[in-house]
Amino acid sequence: MIKFDKVFKKYPGEMDALQDISLEISSGELVFVTGQSGAGKSTLLKLISSVEKPTNGSIIFENTNLSELRNKDMPFLRRKFGMIFQDHKLLYDRNCFENVVLPLEINDINPTDSARRVRAALNKVGLLNKEKMSPITLSGGEQQRLAIARAIVSRPSILIADEPTGNLDKGYADEIMNIFYSFQQVGVTVIVSCHEPPKSPIKFKQIHLFKGQISNSDNHVPLLS
Amino acid sequence: MFRYFHNHFQALTRGLIRIKSNLGASIMMFVIIGITLCLPSAGYLIVENVRQISTKIQHEAEIGIFLKKDINQDQIDFIDSALKSSPEIKKIHFEPKLVAWEKLQSKLKLSTLDIGISENPLPHSFFITLNTLSKEKINQLTEDLKLINGIDNIVIDGSWIKKLRAIIYMVKIGLLSLGSLLIIVLIVIISNTIRLQTLTYQNEILVSKLIGATNSFIHRPFIYTGLIYGLGGGIITVSILKGVVIIFNNIAERYENILGNTIVLVGLSSTDYVIILLSAMLIGLLSSFFSARHSIKKLENLY
Repeated sequence: MIKFDKVFKKYPGEMDALQDISLEISSGELVFVTGQSGAGKSTLLKLISSVEKPTNGSIIFENTNLSELRNKDMPFLRRKFGMIFQDHKLLYDRNCFENVVLPLEINDINPTDSARRVRAALNKVGLLNKEKMSPITLSGGEQQRLAIARAIVSRPSILIADEPTGNLDKGYADEIMNIFYSFQQVGVTVIVSCHEPPKSPIKFKQIHLFKGQISNSDNHVPLLS
Repeated sequence: MFRYFHNHFQALTRGLIRIKSNLGASIMMFVIIGITLCLPSAGYLIVENVRQISTKIQHEAEIGIFLKKDINQDQIDFIDSALKSSPEIKKIHFEPKLVAWEKLQSKLKLSTLDIGISENPLPHSFFITLNTLSKEKINQLTEDLKLINGIDNIVIDGSWIKKLRAIIYMVKIGLLSLGSLLIIVLIVIISNTIRLQTLTYQNEILVSKLIGATNSFIHRPFIYTGLIYGLGGGIITVSILKGVVIIFNNIAERYENILGNTIVLVGLSSTDYVIILLSAMLIGLLSSFFSARHSIKKLENLY
């Protein structure tokens, strides 16, 4: 599904953020991209979601070479991904419903379908009763769940989460991870960056980065069955 | 097609929400655009009124046709009938040389003895008023009249009208220059406001980009905001102009007795008002389009 072949990424005036990255992620996999701060986790996710282009090498996603993607085609590719960020990136001048409906407005979904899908997404993350509330009134965990609802509402085939539990305490973090596991189990590819892989009840792949290079890539069997 | 209109409706709604959420600043923007556009428009209103007055004066301007001294009555009758048959001539007045001489003497308060002239030096003359403003038609008529036997000289009494027309033309050029400068000022003001708005909505723009919004999806609400600014400003301009005309005419009516004449300021035509509104909207649209495009491109580096 996603294949990196000798990918390098260098920002102007800085050292290589990523060096010689080659990896493959199959459809429906749960992947944890781990490593310390500055290891290149966010850069790797940005390359997958085509927010950034590689300096060298190729990234193939569903037979499309992302390195050669034209700028005007990028928005349409990004719609295939559900993106979740550590700082949620919610819009605080809109209520929960309006935050979640944004990807559907971008995707030109008609208002009736949109409303139904938004409520289904909010229900999935347990926020249906808070659709009219402003995100600012929600707790950190609820805000991240709202961000997940926004990411899943357009039914993406891949969920990409950049340190989604970084600012949350353990209880909320577990809640968030459980939502990711549930999506992986219905066939969605889930890619999550974090410092350490959580104790996952399901099989996952770990890609460990160190100073912009893959230091270890393993498949892990469930710890709890 | 439904989706296309739905997208635009959504963008318009978003633009209106942005204006409403910052109502004070938006009203200020309407007023700034309205007053700025009012300056050249009011100038145009005055010039149009002066031009219309000058047009009326031109209708009353005379052409003097001076006949040869040795002309006989038959020739005078022929010239009179030739003038009467011309469709360009509205009014004909024949001035016999004797009457002209008496008028001159009474005007100068002189007798023939005072100036040592025993014979009337003035010719018979016709004074005609035209019902056309066309320069070509006037020239053609003059040329035709010159061909008639018995006519000595033709004088078109319109030099001061020409001067007035030249002044009006120069004022129009001046207004055009002032208008262009003020439009540039408006473009700068609206562009800067939209640029500040893109910074205010920076988070929304970045999130929208990250989840797959196209540039046109992001630009649209800003463009509608600019368009609404233009419309609001245009409405203020039209209201001010209409208000000025009504107030001026009321005051002029009140002082009619003192002035001894009715001065009426004629408002601009509906077409002119529509042009002002559309121009204001176009200025808003173009400024916001280029400003939003430029500012949002800069934000792309902030991912």
